[in-house]
Formats: sequence, C-alpha cells, structure tokens
Amino acid sequence: MAGAGPLRAARPRLVAGMLIQLLNGLVYGGLLYILAVGLVLIFGLRRVVNFAHGSLFTVGAYVGFTVTSVAGFWAGLAVSVCVLTVIGAALDRFVFRPLQDEDPIVTMLVTFGLLLVLEDAVRTIWGKEFLTVQPPAILSGVVHLTGTSFPVYRLAVIGVAILVAGGLSLWLRFSRVGLYVRASSVDPLTTGMQGVDTDRLSATVVAIGAGLAGLSGTIAAPLLALSPSMGGSILIDSFVVVVTGGLGSFTGAFIAAMVIGQLHNLGVVFVPEAASMIPLVLMVLVLIWRPGGLAKAGA
Amino acid sequence: MTILALEGIGLTRRFGGFIALDSVSIALRPGEIRGLIGPNGAGKSTLMDVLSGRAGKSASGRVSLFGQDITGFPAWQRRRAGLARSFQKTNVFPDLTVAAQIGLAARAAETNNAAEVIDALELSALAGQRAADISYGDQRRVDVALALVGRPRVLLLDEPAAGLSMAESLNLALLLRDLAARWQVTVLIVEHDMEVIFSICSHLTVLHLGRILANGPPEEVRAMPEVITAYLGSSAA
Amino acid sequence: MIRIAVFLAAGAAGALLPNLFGSPLLLTLLTQAAINAILATGVGFLVRQNGLVSFGHAGFFGLGAYIVALSATNGWMPIGVALLLAVVAPTVLALLLGAAMLRLGGVAFSMLTLAVAQAFYELALRWRSLANGDDGIAAQLPDRILGLDLSVFQQPGSMFVVCWIVLMLVLFGLSVLIASPFGTLTLAIRENEERARFIGYRTLLPRAAIYALSAAIAALAGVLFALYNGFVTPNVLYWGLSGEALVMAVVGGTRAVWGPALGALLFFLLKNVAGDLTEHWPAIIGGTLIIVTVLLPRGASGSIALLMQRMGVRTA
Repeated sequence: MAGAGPLRAARPRLVAGMLIQLLNGLVYGGLLYILAVGLVLIFGLRRVVNFAHGSLFTVGAYVGFTVTSVAGFWAGLAVSVCVLTVIGAALDRFVFRPLQDEDPIVTMLVTFGLLLVLEDAVRTIWGKEFLTVQPPAILSGVVHLTGTSFPVYRLAVIGVAILVAGGLSLWLRFSRVGLYVRASSVDPLTTGMQGVDTDRLSATVVAIGAGLAGLSGTIAAPLLALSPSMGGSILIDSFVVVVTGGLGSFTGAFIAAMVIGQLHNLGVVFVPEAASMIPLVLMVLVLIWRPGGLAKAGA
Repeated sequence: MTILALEGIGLTRRFGGFIALDSVSIALRPGEIRGLIGPNGAGKSTLMDVLSGRAGKSASGRVSLFGQDITGFPAWQRRRAGLARSFQKTNVFPDLTVAAQIGLAARAAETNNAAEVIDALELSALAGQRAADISYGDQRRVDVALALVGRPRVLLLDEPAAGLSMAESLNLALLLRDLAARWQVTVLIVEHDMEVIFSICSHLTVLHLGRILANGPPEEVRAMPEVITAYLGSSAA
Repeated sequence: MIRIAVFLAAGAAGALLPNLFGSPLLLTLLTQAAINAILATGVGFLVRQNGLVSFGHAGFFGLGAYIVALSATNGWMPIGVALLLAVVAPTVLALLLGAAMLRLGGVAFSMLTLAVAQAFYELALRWRSLANGDDGIAAQLPDRILGLDLSVFQQPGSMFVVCWIVLMLVLFGLSVLIASPFGTLTLAIRENEERARFIGYRTLLPRAAIYALSAAIAALAGVLFALYNGFVTPNVLYWGLSGEALVMAVVGGTRAVWGPALGALLFFLLKNVAGDLTEHWPAIIGGTLIIVTVLLPRGASGSIALLMQRMGVRTA
C-alpha cells in the first residue's frame, strides 16, 4: 500500500479530466453536426453550398435570445426554429429555385452576399455588444460523474444531437420524402422525371436544413456569447466537416463532426491561439489520404 | 516474335454487381487497323476506357504498350507513352480556336506536326475559329485531330464517324487509313458504320455482353453464325 | 510590341495623375483603389484562368500585410527580405493548399478558400501575444525601404504612383502569361480538364500554379497596404474584404485581365458616393454582389468588350 498513494489519487482526477474533455468535444461536435447536416441536405437537393448557413446559425441564436427574454427558453427555441424554417423555404423559393439552372457558383456568390447582408442586419438590429442567454431552469444544474461535475445543459445538447442524427437516419431510410432525398442526392435528374414535385421537395428539405441551423444556433446560445460574427468560426468548421466527410454524405458528416469536435476542443484547451487551424490541418491530411473525403456521396 | 503494339490481358470492369467487361484479352500487331464491333451494350466503349486509362479503380487486368506495362499509368502518362484516343461524345475545347487546341496537343506529343494534321483533316479554313462556333462534323474532325496529332504509336478511335453523313464518314475513314499507314500508327476503331469498318480494317474483334465473341478477318467474321445471332438477338436499330 | 506600348502609355498617364488632381482626399481614395485593384486582379485572374472562385483571398492579402508589419515591428529581418517573404510565403502556402484542394472540384474548393482565410483570421484574433488581436499592430517601418524614403510609401500622391506602377506591371505580366503556351494550357484545362489529360498534360500542377500566382498578387497588395497604412488589424483577413474583392472582380468582369481593376475603380467611386451609408458597408457589398451576379454576369469589362465587338473592333 505504501508507494501507491499519490498515483492512486491522481488517476481518478485524470479519468475525470479526460471524461470532461470527451464530453465537451461531443457537445461541440453535436452542434457542429446539426449545423453541417443542414448544409449536406441543401447540397444534396440543390447541388449548391449555402454560404449563408453561418448567418442562419447566428439569426437562430439572436431570435432565440429575443423570444427567450420575453417568453422563456422553450418558447425561444420553438419560435426560432420555426422562423428559420420559414426563412429556409423563402431562401429556396427566391434564391435556389430561380438560379437552379445556372452554374452553381452563381448561387454560391449570391448566398455569400446574403451572408454579408444578414450579418449586417443582425448587427443593426441587436447591436455589436456581446449578449448572453441563460439555459432553462430545468436544465441548469450539474450532474455528478466519477468525482467531477458536468452541466446538465451540455448533456442535453449532446442528447439533441443524437436525436437529430437518429431521427434523420430513420427519416432518410423509412419515409417517402427521405427516400426521395436520398435518390435526389445521387441522381437529381431522374428523380425529377419520376413525377416527384421537386420544387416542393426542395423547399421542404431546404427549410429543414435552415431549421437545423437555427436549432444549432439557439441551443448553442447559452454556451457561447452572442455576437454578430458568431456564425463565423463555426461556419469554418462546418465547411471543413462537410468537405472532410465527403460532399453529400450524411454518415461522413457525422464522423467528421465528432472527430473535429474533439480536436477543436483539445485545441482550445492546449493551443488556444491556433485552435482554428486544427480542423484545417486534419482536413488537408484526410484529403491527401482520401481525395474524395471520408465517405462517398449518398451514403 | 514481334512485340505487340497494344496488349490488354484479362481486362475486367465492374459497376457494383454488374460486370461490363469479363476478363477480355486483346492484342494488336504493329501497323494493323483493328475494328472493334458488337451490339449495343457489348462493352466496346468500356474496353476503350480501360485501355486508355479512363476507368479507374473499377477496372482490373494488365495493359502494355510495345512491351511496356502501362497498367498503372494515368491518362496523361499513357499519352506521353504513345497511346492516344478520340471520343464518341465530342470532347474538344469550345473556347479555344482550332489552331490553338491542336497546337496545344502537338506540343505535348512526339512530333509537333500541328500544321500537317490541320491540313490533312481539312481544317485549315477553320483554324482561326473557336471550336464552339464550327459545325458538328467539323468538331468531330477536331476531336480526331487532337488524338491524331503528334503521331501517336497507337490510336484508339471511339466512333469517329458518329453523326456524320455517309460520305463524310467514308472520307474520314479512308483518310485515317492513309495517315495510319504513312505514320505507322496502329489503330483500334470502334464503329457501328459497317461500311467504314469493312473499308479500312484488316481484322475484327467482336464483343458481346462483355466477352470476346469472335476474332478474324472481316469477311470471315461477318459470316459467323454466332455473330449474326448476336446482332439479330439484341434488337437492332 | 503593341502591348508594351499600351502599358507604357497607361503607366505614364497614371503617374502623371497626381500632378493634375492635387486633392489629397481624391488621391487617398485613388491609392486605396489601386491597392484593392491589385487584390481584385488576383481574385479575377483565378476565375479567368482556372474557372474557380476564391472566397478567401483576403487570407493571402492579410498574410502579406501581417508579415511586413510583424517583421518590421519585431526586427526579425531586413525590410527588403521581409517584403520578399511577405509575397513568397503566401504563394508557397497557396501552392500546397492548391495541390490538396484542387482535386475536389469547384464547389468544395470555394468552400475551403473561405475556411482557410477565416482560420487565419481567427488565428490573428486569438494569438494576442504575437499579433495583438483586435487592436492590431502599428508597424514600425524603417526610414528607408528599397532605397526610397518611407514617406514615398505613406504620402498618397507618391504612393499612388508606386501602386499604379505595380498594378501596370502585374497586368502586363498577366497578359504575357495569358498569351503564352502555359496560358493556353490553363484555359484548356479550365474548359475541358479531361481532354487536357488525354492529350498528355498533367492538370493539377498548372492549376495549383495559377492559384499560387493569384495568391502572390493578393499578397503583393497586402504588402503595399502595410507600407501605406503602417497599421494592420485582423480585418485584413476577414471575409468582408474577400467579398469586396469578389464584388470588384464580378462588377469589373474577369474576361479582360484589367476588368477587376476597373471594378475596383467603380467600387471606390461608389464608396465615395455612399458616404454615411458606409456603416452598413458589408450589407452594401453583399447586395451589390447579389445584384451584379444575377443581372450582369459579364461585368463592366465584358459589357465594354461586347460593345466593342458590335462596333467591329477585335477584342483580346
């Protein structure tokens, strides 16, 4: 028993530290996944990248903030997701649909323009100062795990991400709309010819994609400080996730999000200044190894 | 024992569960003009793709060019080794002038004979025009010119006469035969137009359902019962 | 021959400009326009030669600016070497990134250009000990740079001449490149990458080279920016600036190599007129980008070219 003392005491703390690290990585990875999967949905249907996605995240957080301060967190969440869903449908109707026959780059330039416009709109309406949102009362406690504590809210965020991943999986596999989404991801032309109302389908899917961006933003709000440019850094990571996972792949996006989530957090803890570089370096390495990304499209 | 100009051994290509090419072997002697025929869906274009380096991971088997193993070579390296191809669906550079693109191809090739090829394929009058602005028939000749320029050692032609009138097709075919003889180019040509095939090919290979059905001189092959059945069996155009 | 004459004439005209218009405000605007014109030229050239859109060219611009500022302030190396490194380092980075990213296709490539630039922005923002974060760096530039007095680079009148000459040299160099076999090759790869391979060309390296060149041009603009302003903040890396450069390139048109520079001029005229609205500048940029992309895809230079064509003049 003699020499084991200090080592015995150190190990539980190490395990606890690693557990916290892992969980935090899952939290960020979860947020990232919800945001990135919206991008994948939109790309699968419309074959374009929605550069405005980062600002949808931001708008979601801010709308959530405003409604929360009036009617509480749950109302904020519900309203925010609804508003973003509507914005998504409008985005499809007024941007993606009219430009669908043009070179995809045209749509990307337009959504990039929207990114700038929306960022300015948020700054104008809500101002430049940092705002904060409190998590809802039910979820504001801590949970005790192996000698340390972890916020309940963060566990809830992980839970939401799992629900989204699971729900999306089931929806894609078993619902009619999901089937069309998968078919369209692989072959948009044929699906159109099958008599499917591709316009309605696209509007639905883009709306869902935008809604997910809003969801991610709203549930992220209690964890981050709100600022008009908050969509910026998570947008980088979500782009990296989508490309690393393989453009168009849902499974790839999930794996990439989890990995990048962990790496991002490790980076923030150990090399905070260079944390933004880590996902990029990972992505370059993955691309050198597998030029098409981790998974093939449609998977 | 002469070295074969082009040899494909055990070439197989699968698309998921579907086997487009089933362990096909083909051997071209230097200087011959071989016709590759077969009903629709026989695997002719697939074979061309595998030989020319357009197939990627879905293909297996070995390809060698004048004894050199080029199996692992990407497309650009195959061309540098002396294996060129033209395309069934016209594959040119729309915004470049005819002269500019043939010149570009010539600079990468064995001999810079752009002027000679433009002349031979009757493209001189169009040399300064953009490929997008010329007629379909002229574009097809540009497509062939891009493959032919520089005097490749082996030339794969994928339906060079597609969409051309009967007169234009025959014209092109005879021109190709003459150039091939003059420049000592070995040719493998896929064609549906039987007049073209019979006018220039010394030898035919028949593909059916991804396998070699027959090999031999044109007169023999056309009389083989299994060849006739294959063509009649798969509903003809 | 004609080309050299044209550029010499344009160069001289620009050099004489400050003598005609003494107004410091106008000269300041023109100098900024010239620097941005060089950045926009880099962005536009990438579109023209590779058919690719970079949403993150500010990354190379900012990198160039920061290298000059950091080196001058910390005395890492003689200023001449720093200026060289400030252009070479982003170029090499672009070459390496290009080699990895160009395989992916236009859409993914564009996404990643944004991601890369933004990552550098975050780096500059968070690495306070090195880059001083949001507050930026006041570059302590030496009194003499490349044999010239520092004031040459910091007075609008003389700096405009410097930037104008650099712009002319860049445009001249690009027009020579475009007319060369390499220029033809890269255009061919842009139009039909597959056929380019089948006629015997590797296609990745030429495209990476073009990307690297466009990055070098952007970095060069960043160097001029650092010399002129003497003060560098993370905003030089932000996507807002990339957006501005894109607007200039789209508005000016990319078919003519001088198109983006024209776009920069129009852009700065617009900025001058916008005045108080500049508080909402990002929204104006975004809006302009949307409108021009949708309504006028050829941009100003393309429209001019079209007009000249209709009048029977041959255009390059």
